[in-house]
Formats: sequence, C-alpha cells, structure tokens
Amino acid sequence: MDAFSQRTEWQAQYDAWIDAMRATGSVDWKRYPTARFEATPASPGVVLADASLLLVSSAGGYLPTTQAAFDASHVLGDYSIRRIPLTTPLSEYAYAHEHYAHDARSADPQVLMPVAHLLDLQDAGVIGEVASEVVSYMGYQPDVGRIIDETIPAIVAVAQALRVQAAFLVPS
Amino acid sequence: MQSVGLLARALEAAGIATTMTSWMAGRMGAIKPPRATLTQLGAGMTLGHPGDAAQQRRVIQATLDLLAQPAPVPVVRIDER
Repeated sequence: MDAFSQRTEWQAQYDAWIDAMRATGSVDWKRYPTARFEATPASPGVVLADASLLLVSSAGGYLPTTQAAFDASHVLGDYSIRRIPLTTPLSEYAYAHEHYAHDARSADPQVLMPVAHLLDLQDAGVIGEVASEVVSYMGYQPDVGRIIDETIPAIVAVAQALRVQAAFLVPS
Repeated sequence: MQSVGLLARALEAAGIATTMTSWMAGRMGAIKPPRATLTQLGAGMTLGHPGDAAQQRRVIQATLDLLAQPAPVPVVRIDER
C-alpha cells in the first residue's frame, strides 16, 4: 500500500491501548488510535463502461456450506478473506460480524452486498464487467498492522489475479 | 470503515481505481480514501434502506460515478438518510 508513515507511532499507541484493555478487562473505544493520513496520492480514473469492477464487502459474508465463518467474536478481529463466486445466490450467504445490527441486511442483503444491482448496471452497459468473484471480509479489524500485512495483500492479490481495473468497496 | 479506507489506498497504489461510500465522516476524514461518497445512512445499511432499491441504486451510481475522475476526489456528500 502507499506508505503509512505514522505506522511506528500508531503501533505504540495501539500497544498501549491493548495493554489498557488487558489491565482493565474492557475495551475503551474513545482511546482507540485511528489511523490517520495527511493526504491522498494522485492516481488516474477509469472509464467504468470499459472496466472490470471488483466488489469488496466488509459485511462478514461467507458461504457456510464450503467456508469457515469469520471469528466474529474475537476482540481483536479476524483478518482473513473469503472469495465468493459472483453467481452465488445471495440466499446462500451467511454473515459473521458482531459489530453492526443485521436487521436491514437480513431483510434485504443488497444494503451491503449489491450483487444484483451491479449486474443490472453491467447489463445496462454502465459497468464493463463485474468481476467473477466477490471479496468478503469481516470489517471489525482494530489492528492496522495486521490489515496492512494480511488482509490488504490478500485482496490486492485477488484483484490482480482477476485483472480488474476498478473496485467498489462497501463497508458495513 | 478504517480497513476499507486503507484497502482503497492500497488498491489505488497497485493501479486499481477505487470508490467507496460510508456514513462515517470522522473516519473518512482520517483515512482520506481516493474517492468516496458520504451519506447519513448508518451501520448495517450502507447502501440504503432495505427494500428501497431506488435509494440503493442512487447511492451506488453516485459512488461509481467518481471512478471517472482522477484521485484524489474530495469526499462527495449525498443527501441520503
């Protein structure tokens, strides 16, 4: 990824936050050290109608018949990813994520997993192609170091293997 | 949102254009993703209310539209709640 120049300082703050959590037995989110950047590097846009677009969701979706659930209850998160074939019916997804209410997603999964909407846009020619897999992970990931070292390289590798030019990222 | 923003920056650095949407203004300001829309929706319904396909499509379209622009794009606030 582009350089996280404050990583050393962030790590020290995170380690102190972890130490406090262990000492008190409770998580103090008011003291959690959010990663911060001063600027965004320049990069080119794309013509979406000519591009292959990857959907990435952090809603914790997985396929229970063939994939393990995310470790949703782990206080320090889960940094793994799941690759889900685009053609999988949304009814076959399960979700493991304890940090958002699932009512809306249960009623209509497209509030977080907009596969059908993207396919409609592909059919309409707005999107050149929706990539053949959806990348899913469980977005409760407080350890920025592990996001950078584990989750991000795994997803970038999938994006490169699928030869996409663009990605639509949907946090939960 | 933090992980998604970090991922957006990383994908962009790898030559893959990204766009995202969120309701978390504070995290958005900290991470500074390459392209993003900001709504007043909430956790668990990032793209709109359940059953409101028209709203979901508006949020998606507004967010995808940003891909045409070179980054960085200032965060675009859209009136969806």
